[in-house]
Amino acid sequence: MITQPATRGADAELVSASWTEPEAFAELFDRYSAMLYRYVSKRLGPEPAEDLVGETFLVAFSRRRSYDLAYADARPWLFGILTKLISRHRRTEAARYRALLRAPVEDRVDSPADRVAAGVSAQAARPELAGALAALPAKDRDVLLLIAWGDLTYEETAQALGIPVGTVRSRLNRGRRKVRAALGHTNPLLDEEA
Amino acid sequence: MDDMKLLRDFGAALEHEPPATLARQRNRLTEAKPRRRRVGLLVTGLAAVATAAAVAVPTLVLRGHQTVAPPTGARPAKVTTGTLNVLVVGTDGEAGSERFRHGARTDTILLVHVPADRKEITAVSIPRDSLVQIPRCGSQPPRKDMINSAFDKGGLACTVKTVETLTDVRIDHMMEVDFTAFKQVVDALGGIQVKLREPVNDPKAKLRLPAGTSVLNGQQALGYMRLRSYGDGSDIQRIKRQQVLLRAMLAKGKKMLTDPAKVRAFLGVAGKSIKTDEGFDLETMADLAVSMSDTRLTGFLTVPWVPSPDDPNRVVWKQPDAGRLFARLR
Repeated sequence: MITQPATRGADAELVSASWTEPEAFAELFDRYSAMLYRYVSKRLGPEPAEDLVGETFLVAFSRRRSYDLAYADARPWLFGILTKLISRHRRTEAARYRALLRAPVEDRVDSPADRVAAGVSAQAARPELAGALAALPAKDRDVLLLIAWGDLTYEETAQALGIPVGTVRSRLNRGRRKVRAALGHTNPLLDEEA
Repeated sequence: MDDMKLLRDFGAALEHEPPATLARQRNRLTEAKPRRRRVGLLVTGLAAVATAAAVAVPTLVLRGHQTVAPPTGARPAKVTTGTLNVLVVGTDGEAGSERFRHGARTDTILLVHVPADRKEITAVSIPRDSLVQIPRCGSQPPRKDMINSAFDKGGLACTVKTVETLTDVRIDHMMEVDFTAFKQVVDALGGIQVKLREPVNDPKAKLRLPAGTSVLNGQQALGYMRLRSYGDGSDIQRIKRQQVLLRAMLAKGKKMLTDPAKVRAFLGVAGKSIKTDEGFDLETMADLAVSMSDTRLTGFLTVPWVPSPDDPNRVVWKQPDAGRLFARLR
């Protein structure tokens, strides 16, 4: 594997700088707290999100010395910690999806343009998607959502969860199969694709 | 539109933008250190050990230097030759003061690690509230208790034995420094110069200083070490101040090496107020001083801990993180 030359200000440099200058770690917070917040807000809603993001950075800070500096990008590491913290809220998460089965998603103010962009079929499919996510085993859901909602690659997901890439693929496939099965009735286009 | 796209759109609909209050979580990070710990001697011990080591010269004899017997029984084997582990305890005892002399508590327990190449010192601070298994010490039966009770009931040797049992790190030397010792060390060095951006007026630390450059005597330096409500009040800043003070002490100590009369005066006090094991004698200190001329004081770590499940006011060491940390010091 070719290691990319570390660019100036790579996350890894911040982490290693924080070994002697703890304040350097705050820069990582500035870079990624908003991103992590958005991710948790999708899975657990806005109430626990703030605290969980803070918690994630506290855990990361306490483990900064065991960070593998070969990884320039700290996102997978942070997402891995966050995923563990989210797993403590499994019941909240499932309850949230189940609630979305019943009620329409209205807790975000969308502009009409956004709504059009999101697509009518996505709107219509929400109860099915929520139901599928609620029913997924936690391990499959973690993989599926790190990729779909966290924008991690397969490799980054593998790194975040500490599992082989092959396992990421198989969990993702299993998760997507179940989501498609749930959507089966509402969107015939998907059958062709599968 | 495929299932991943639908899922992404679903996520986008659920997403919330971070509120401004998220910045509060950043402060949690910069104040990450445990707050309840009594301030005082976080690095006092290290300062004393570094200073004492730096100024010890082979031509002088430590007189009136008190020694402590090493622990008895089986001890961990030394793994890497050339490394040096010194357990420094800072106690809140104040010799000559009635109030404090009754049972001193180890306010600070520091494991100072000097690697074989002598390049960088690492100091691992052991939270005094750690709930740990304390081994049998003399007539005291083994028990589960706060680590600082090992000193109170069994003295320095028992603290060393406890740390060795818990970490499997062989402690080569031990040293005890109390408030009085710290003050005397600073006074013997002729005071330490610090530069302040804002004036200090803190009744808790018993310290009043103007902005700008001041030379602190022992009492003031102790106050400065313990100072909390200054700057942004964060622990990170306080540790920084302590490190600056520490480096200043070390630098001053090194300069003294050239003035034998001052060294003599210094060792007269430092030797009396610091207790060590018998093996940590002049020659060892002198060797250390010579080899440490280019040493940098770098890592100040704390044993990874989590709140105790039985008592939120106590902590327990977090495994396997703590084990991994100590494995590096063997």
